[in-house]
Amino acid sequence: MQLSTHTTPSGFLLPSIHSAPPFFTQQPNPATQAIVAEQWSKLILSYARFRNMFTLRVEDAEIPGGEWDEVLRNERINRRLLPAHLASLIADMVSKNLASYDPPNQTRSVLLWWRQPDEWAEVLYQWADSTGQMNTILTFYEILDPPVPSALSGIPITVLRRAVSILTKSQRAQIISVSDGEGVRFLSRNGK
Amino acid sequence: MSLKRYAKSVDGTIPVQALLYTDEDLLASQESVGIYDGPQKSAQHQAGSVYATTYRLFYIDTAHPRSRSFALDLSDVGRTDYYAGLLRSSSKVTLYLRARPKPETATSEHPIGSGTPQSNVTGAEDPVFDSWECEVCSYRNPPGLSPTAARICGLCGVPRSSVKPTSVFAKSSAAASYHLSSSLPSSSLNLPAFGAAAPSSQTSSPESTVDGKTDEEVACPACTFLNHPSLPACEICGTPLPRRPFAMRALHPPAKSAPTSRPITPMTDDDDDDDADSPDKRMIRLSFRKGGDKAFYNVLRRSLLGKAWEGGSSITKPVSAGAPLAKASDTARSGITGILQTVDDTKKTTENNMQDALQDLEALMIKWKDMVRLAQDLNERLTAASTSASGAPSAGDTGPAMITQAVEPEEATFIRSSLAQLGLQMNNTPVTLDMVRDERRWVEELAKELAGILQGQGKAQGMMRRRGIIGLDEVWGGWNRARGVALIPPATFLQVLPQLPSYTSPPIQMRTFQSSGLSVLHTPPYTRAAFASRMVSLLTLAGPKTTVDVAHEEELPIALVQEMVGEVEDAGEICRDESESGVSIPTVGAGRWASGEVRWWVNVFRGYVWDGHEFA
Repeated sequence: MQLSTHTTPSGFLLPSIHSAPPFFTQQPNPATQAIVAEQWSKLILSYARFRNMFTLRVEDAEIPGGEWDEVLRNERINRRLLPAHLASLIADMVSKNLASYDPPNQTRSVLLWWRQPDEWAEVLYQWADSTGQMNTILTFYEILDPPVPSALSGIPITVLRRAVSILTKSQRAQIISVSDGEGVRFLSRNGK
Repeated sequence: MSLKRYAKSVDGTIPVQALLYTDEDLLASQESVGIYDGPQKSAQHQAGSVYATTYRLFYIDTAHPRSRSFALDLSDVGRTDYYAGLLRSSSKVTLYLRARPKPETATSEHPIGSGTPQSNVTGAEDPVFDSWECEVCSYRNPPGLSPTAARICGLCGVPRSSVKPTSVFAKSSAAASYHLSSSLPSSSLNLPAFGAAAPSSQTSSPESTVDGKTDEEVACPACTFLNHPSLPACEICGTPLPRRPFAMRALHPPAKSAPTSRPITPMTDDDDDDDADSPDKRMIRLSFRKGGDKAFYNVLRRSLLGKAWEGGSSITKPVSAGAPLAKASDTARSGITGILQTVDDTKKTTENNMQDALQDLEALMIKWKDMVRLAQDLNERLTAASTSASGAPSAGDTGPAMITQAVEPEEATFIRSSLAQLGLQMNNTPVTLDMVRDERRWVEELAKELAGILQGQGKAQGMMRRRGIIGLDEVWGGWNRARGVALIPPATFLQVLPQLPSYTSPPIQMRTFQSSGLSVLHTPPYTRAAFASRMVSLLTLAGPKTTVDVAHEEELPIALVQEMVGEVEDAGEICRDESESGVSIPTVGAGRWASGEVRWWVNVFRGYVWDGHEFA
């Protein structure tokens, strides 16, 4: 049976494995299941990046009509990802640092790291550099919702905070308390 | 009449062997015998079996064993006569009975007519039948001995002193103690019932004052449970209970299995007893309707001559019957000497028995060579016969072939297995441990035998001829069925299995499934790898399949296929698609996915490369 890729209405190219029914079953064989989990996390992260989404909840597999439907269900082969399977996939992703529980101390909802925190830090620093905002104090709000849309538009504040803290450690940013919250000042690398 | 006076009623539903005294031997029996009471036929005893023992003559009625059977003491028989029969008259044996000392109350005789002065109709206990303790050596003599043997202590030989003088008058207490010691409540409690219900013409005994308490309960004749008197049937087993009026007429003897059975003679014919007691009427005839008279008469005569009831010590010890070593007199058997002698006798008897037994073995040892030759000869003939029978079925009408066909395979098998059990080594017979001394060789021989059974020899079909895979349990059962004798224990069976591949072609190997522990024997096409590749190609060619589909394809049991598929899945060759992960609302046209079974797919994940969305 030849499997083929499929483009969703939103324009996302689903991999051919997505149209194989066994993909939606939790395989008892650990080696097989490892491949299944790897492909699923790749698919989830790609889709999240494509749709610029950051959270995935187990409930997304239970309730039809959500924003994850295109991935977690395949109406063409009448298969869907069972919540239990999704939960185990999420746990697998957390263990591989591809996601983290958010809020912490529960396992039903995760923050997806389709960019790793240090990648986010690079993106943030590049953005600050390219928009000429070095040595300027910026509030978090100004970063998350800039007048000109950027790669950082709409990212969760948790992601931003992690990126800033990474920059802080490498002496490229400084957290400054301002009157209405927190601010950050990016430092040029050759400044020090 | 004489029958009523001398015979004791017994319960014929109990096998005669159980009615015997401990030291009484059953000598002969004969069916289809009628009884003449004096010169006339006794109408109630016309069809039954007679049994001659060392002490008694039993008549067990065929139609009414419970009510019409009786026993007659041989000690009462004075002389016998034999009539060979003529034309239509059956041969007869006449027993002339001795006159008995007539007791004051002629209603009943004491069963033994011995020196015990108790002449009580309803004697609740019969002292000779009771278990009693010797006053000299305190040996507890068991009940069930014959009256003669019971008079003397079995260990020290001291005669039993006397009957308890109180037993007649203290009836209820005696009955109670009897109850405790003999565990036969039915007899002990029925008997006072007679006493109370039938005071009769007794002058001396006061048992009409028997206490009424025990009287109320009715013992079940089958299970001896004491039932409330108002119950018509036993509360425990449902057997109809004897009604008291019947019990009074004594048509129904108390139920018991030991010789403690106590005859109650009907007490209605005091008047005609005197006329009937004339010597020519004191006789009983046995009419042998269907022969067997001569043999029976001989046995009976020998038993009468033996006079076991006179208490020869050789007869009190049935084990030493025939051995003349214990012909000591009663006086020599008393005291410590007697005890020692008894022990010595027992020892000697045992020795004799052992020697007798070993003599057979010695004779066999002398003859063994001849036996072996004979056995080999027999086996060769059997083999030749079976081969000629199977080789030339067309010659079925010739003489030799008829003979070979007459030899049933079952009989041949039986002969061969008998030979094998004798330890005679031959071809085509089950291998036993005795045949091969060396255990390693034994295992190899067994493996050869098993290989033959599995794959068949010559034309015969083996167990695995049509199947490539077979459960271990089935193999074991089939093998032992084929062997018939000297069955192989599972441990040995498992020992043999590793040797099997070298004796089978194609090699048969054992394989154990991890998940269930099921073990199977299989041919090469059913190894893990071979089955996996066959299944993968099936899935590749024909698309996803359920386990049932695969079982159908392989023509194997579903459970077995499930095990094998499970192993293939463990190897990662296939992956599963559980239809329960279908979208909850079935869409139109998706029906073919809606079944509740697991579908097997080729492992589509192996070597899969991401072909989805790529970010620039």
